[in-house]
Amino acid sequence: MPLDPPRNGEYLVAAYLVATVILSGYWLALWRRAKKSLRGDRKAPMN
Amino acid sequence: MPDPLRLALAIAAKDIRAELRSRTALQSALVFAALVLVVFNFARDPTVLAATDLAPSVLWVTFALAAMVALNRAFNVERENAALDGILLAPVPREALFLGKLLANLAFVGTVELVTLPLFMLFFNVSLGRALPGLLGVTALATIGFVAVGTLFSAMAVRTRFAELMLPVLLLPFMVPPLIAAVQVTSRLLADRPLSEMWGWLRLLALYDVVFVTLCTMAFSAVVDE
Amino acid sequence: MNVGSEQAAGVIRRGLVLSAIGLLGLGGVYVLALGYTPVEARQGLAQKIFYLHVPAAWSALLAFSLVGIASALFLWLKDPRLDRFAAASAEVGVVFAAIMLTTGPIWAKPIWGTWWTWDARLTLTLFVFFLFIGYLGLRAAVHDPAERARFSAVVGILGMLLVPFIHLSVYLFRTLHPQPIVLKPSAPSLPPEMLTTLLVSTLVFTLLYLGFVTARYGLALAEEAREEARDAA
Repeated sequence: MPLDPPRNGEYLVAAYLVATVILSGYWLALWRRAKKSLRGDRKAPMN
Repeated sequence: MPDPLRLALAIAAKDIRAELRSRTALQSALVFAALVLVVFNFARDPTVLAATDLAPSVLWVTFALAAMVALNRAFNVERENAALDGILLAPVPREALFLGKLLANLAFVGTVELVTLPLFMLFFNVSLGRALPGLLGVTALATIGFVAVGTLFSAMAVRTRFAELMLPVLLLPFMVPPLIAAVQVTSRLLADRPLSEMWGWLRLLALYDVVFVTLCTMAFSAVVDE
Repeated sequence: MNVGSEQAAGVIRRGLVLSAIGLLGLGGVYVLALGYTPVEARQGLAQKIFYLHVPAAWSALLAFSLVGIASALFLWLKDPRLDRFAAASAEVGVVFAAIMLTTGPIWAKPIWGTWWTWDARLTLTLFVFFLFIGYLGLRAAVHDPAERARFSAVVGILGMLLVPFIHLSVYLFRTLHPQPIVLKPSAPSLPPEMLTTLLVSTLVFTLLYLGFVTARYGLALAEEAREEARDAA
């Protein structure tokens, strides 16, 4: 007798969202720190 | 060249004498321990939680917190007197210096524990009886472990800005394995369980002590020397 | 503007590019997880959190081990590059540990009904997280770079050696206090789609680790170059 898997997609979305936010947030933080750090030294063509 | 052990004992004796004169570390820690016990007593519902269930955890959390107070005060007093800098100028082997500090700190923390124990029996209505020798043993084992790490870390922490915050933040993770083991052994001792049930935990404590006392002794010179 | 900061900029750029590629790869992992892998019968959709949670845990522990090894090597060789690397790895490790510690409870709640379980892996990662925080806090609280490097190295080594004891404590605790349930879903016989996706995700996370650490390392270089320029001026 086939059982339906439980409906818990919202947890999946939450977890993937959290991970995405943390990782891209960290990337942005690094990027901003880089801009600040190198701003006074040269015009770095950073995108 | 004086025997390093005798040197360590001399350093320990100096620290202990200094503490006995000012008594700052001992007093703070003792008062703190008593207060913690009182708080714990009011924080539980005696009809729901039997004293014996909670007792080992309460005892050890109290010991752990009081130890941190003692360690902090001890090194702060030292720093205020700039005594450490003087000793460091002399060609004292750093291992002996660390051992001396460790022995002194063990004396402080041990005293706090010995005074806290009867208070604990009193407030929590726990009779130790046959468990006492075992309890003293496990207390010694666990205390050696976390005081060793605590002595090293407080030497670091006093050189930082937020010394009072830095020590607990650094030290607490290191206190957890000895604390877990100590609580497990204590609860079995109080319940009069056979030694076989405590053996694993006791071995963990012994191993922890060996590893971390050695490590901290070796690491001390990296902390105090340029 | 000096040679040092040019070098640093190059390192930072490489790191940011690498980690950006990693982020794109992460998107690919999402696609695989949502479209390619089957839905697990017992756990439902939430099981797919596994593809993030496990590689994050692995990356966090990798980062932590490398901090410990770099710390030991630093105290022995005194090479400042090792200290810079350790600092970078610790910061990146915190990020991955945070992911593991957030996805873990989000996964646990629908599956086991509880947000937190003191199982071996979660407990260990929690401790590693606290050790990282202490390590980074210590670095922030010490001014002199040489002292900071020495102190962090000591904490790094001690932290690395603490991990087996945490592990042992949890193990002893479990064998004497049998806990209900907890069969890790990472069962040995994974269907091939799940295994592939897991491997791809692990690769992506490793890429992210390398990219982030490189960028962070470059930032440290840039900071030092700035200090040098300031001192020379």
